[in-house]
Amino acid sequence: MDPKLTEVSQLFERFKAALVRNDFDTCSKLLSQLKILLIEFKSLPPLFEETPNAVQELTIARDIYEHAVVLSVKMEDQDAFERDFFQLKPYYTDVGSRLTQSPQEYPILGLNLLRLLVQNRIAEFHTELELLSANALENTCIKHAVELEQSFMEGAYNRVLTARQTVPHETYVYFMDLLARTVRDEIAGCSEKAYDSLTVKDAREMLLISSDQELFDYIKEEHPEWEVKNGLVVFQKAKDSAPCKEIPSLQLINQTLSYARELERIV
Amino acid sequence: MSFQIKNCNRFSSSGKMTQDVEMKEQQVPAAPSNSVSSTVPSVLQHLKEIAALIETGAYSREVRRILRAIRLTIALRRKLNASVISSFLSFTLASGSEAHSRLVSYLPKEDEHDMEVDTASSGSQATVKHSHEIEIYCYLLVLIFLIDQKKYNEAKSCSSASIARLKNLNRRTVDVLASRLYFYYSLSYELTESLSEIRGNLLALHRVATLRHDELGQETLLNLLLRNYLHYNLYDQAEKLRSKAPRFEAHSNQQFCRYLFYLGKIRTIQLEYTDAKESLLQAARKAPVAALGFRVQCNKWAIIVRLLLGEIPERTVFMQKGMENALKPYFDLTNAVRIGDLDLFKTVAEKFSTTFTSDRTNNLIVRLRHNVIRTGLRNISISYSRISLADVATKLRLDSPNPIADAESIVSKAIRDGAIDAMLDHANGWMVSKETGDIYSTNEPQMAFNSRIAFCLNMHNEAVRALRFPPNSHKEKESAEKRRERQQQEQELAQCIAEEDDDEF
Repeated sequence: MDPKLTEVSQLFERFKAALVRNDFDTCSKLLSQLKILLIEFKSLPPLFEETPNAVQELTIARDIYEHAVVLSVKMEDQDAFERDFFQLKPYYTDVGSRLTQSPQEYPILGLNLLRLLVQNRIAEFHTELELLSANALENTCIKHAVELEQSFMEGAYNRVLTARQTVPHETYVYFMDLLARTVRDEIAGCSEKAYDSLTVKDAREMLLISSDQELFDYIKEEHPEWEVKNGLVVFQKAKDSAPCKEIPSLQLINQTLSYARELERIV
Repeated sequence: MSFQIKNCNRFSSSGKMTQDVEMKEQQVPAAPSNSVSSTVPSVLQHLKEIAALIETGAYSREVRRILRAIRLTIALRRKLNASVISSFLSFTLASGSEAHSRLVSYLPKEDEHDMEVDTASSGSQATVKHSHEIEIYCYLLVLIFLIDQKKYNEAKSCSSASIARLKNLNRRTVDVLASRLYFYYSLSYELTESLSEIRGNLLALHRVATLRHDELGQETLLNLLLRNYLHYNLYDQAEKLRSKAPRFEAHSNQQFCRYLFYLGKIRTIQLEYTDAKESLLQAARKAPVAALGFRVQCNKWAIIVRLLLGEIPERTVFMQKGMENALKPYFDLTNAVRIGDLDLFKTVAEKFSTTFTSDRTNNLIVRLRHNVIRTGLRNISISYSRISLADVATKLRLDSPNPIADAESIVSKAIRDGAIDAMLDHANGWMVSKETGDIYSTNEPQMAFNSRIAFCLNMHNEAVRALRFPPNSHKEKESAEKRRERQQQEQELAQCIAEEDDDEF
């Protein structure tokens, strides 16, 4: 076996052991060492050279990045997640046909979909979705994320929240908690438009907040324009498309003049 | 010299041709009288004329002529056969040359046919020095023939050879031919399911085209790259390339249509429905009538985008000539969305799932589900001034463990997004619809009027800009004497300016 490959796999074993112990400092230290070692393999992206050990090297590199993604979730670091995921992606898309499929592939792809949903990057969510095969869409991990997005778009927020109990993989919990927060902001935004006022109790239930005090803090922080009086939360209405009292004369003059100018050019 | 020889050939063989035609006509009395038809030349004659056209185009640097040559070639496409092409190759290319031997090797062997032509052309070989344009044109011709004969692997190697040859040529008159070659290059790889192999090559070609200010080439290559990416659903890369590639006024209508279609697809996936609708509809309208398949594709996507926007496409869209059958699944789908019936929507989606999968619109149809709910909700909000949330849930057929809470949050989201104009009463569990206001009391009609007028004026201006005048048409009228006079004046003027410049320093 290639000495470099041995070195990487030994280091990787230590990294895995540290990850099991949840020793995050050691993990990130080992991970940066591993990444530096991986640079020396010519068979990895972006070079993709056909070296004799290519398949082994690709497999171990994919394993390392998969663990890096899991580590970033455990450390609750979304930026690191994004970076690691993008490094991992070519192993699924570009060399996927040369390697045996990783059991971690679908959970991680689903996790990424969930991250995009949490960050409200719906356009990217759908772009990623287009890359998945019909087979992948049947997988529970992917399906979970896809169904969440649907409920989210429909506005069936209850279903989003109950989905937390049915997570297909333990790493999903972190993002589901974040999603609950996004959902709360969405509900607040919707309620503002849909109701004149709500009782404090109803508002608390709807926004999934456990105590009145927390509700007041939330209102103060996120929606200072809401009023709380007589046990009611009163929303301020923005009056849109109000009847037009005055004629916007300046704008009209401008428009008419430009018509005249254009017409002159035609005639 | 070369012209004379060509002309001789033409006369002799068209004379033979006339005899042939006359003989046939005697046998078939129904055919029109033989007085006019005596000028029907053979396919080979046509090709030779095209070659002459290219020669003059290359000589006088008139891109227009070469464009015409390509158009004429496409018209001949169905009549091509191996023997015609091989005699044409021996006619135009020196038989010992590398290009000739390579191109002939792609053609199926039919020895007995080209014997005669070979000897005929061997005399002219020494005198005819073919131009680069002709050589590239031969590549193009062979490539088109190979693709039509479904010899995709030969087409692949032929196109790769032609691209390698093109890299060393930098002439504006070649650009037109080159852009067609790029197209067939990509097509031959697409037909053999190996598009991803040429992505790097296409990118390199696009870079070269950009450096050489070959706008037609850039346009073609950008479209091929977008097609390449979208073939593998790589929308992200496609959008990144598209947004960074240089844009300019379109040179070819066909390429512009393709660009709009790809742009529409990308925007649909990225949920920019309004822009997507605009590009897709424009692509469908601008496409030539003959491009039925392309227009059907545009219409399919446009229908889905309009549905996603909450619009219902008119019935006439589905009844367009030649498209009724292809658009049938989308018609049923539209119907389900229009009624707002979730069950019907589900059955339609399942019934035509194979069509939707092959059109790769399946994921978009999944997105439509929430539009179905929206439409249903809108219907309810129009029909009832006040309705309980429990009834809303049953009417929408929401099958979930907690239908009332679901209905409530769905309604509140619809209100926020402006889909319905209503209020919720949480204590009583009601949805109260608001009276629709008088739109004419707002500024909206004025704005709509303005945008329409602006559209018309813009259309007029674009039409004026698109007018084309034949180059030099006004100059030819002036006599030689006048021209000399004018040139003299111009020279004097230039001298004056130069002197003034000198004075300044």
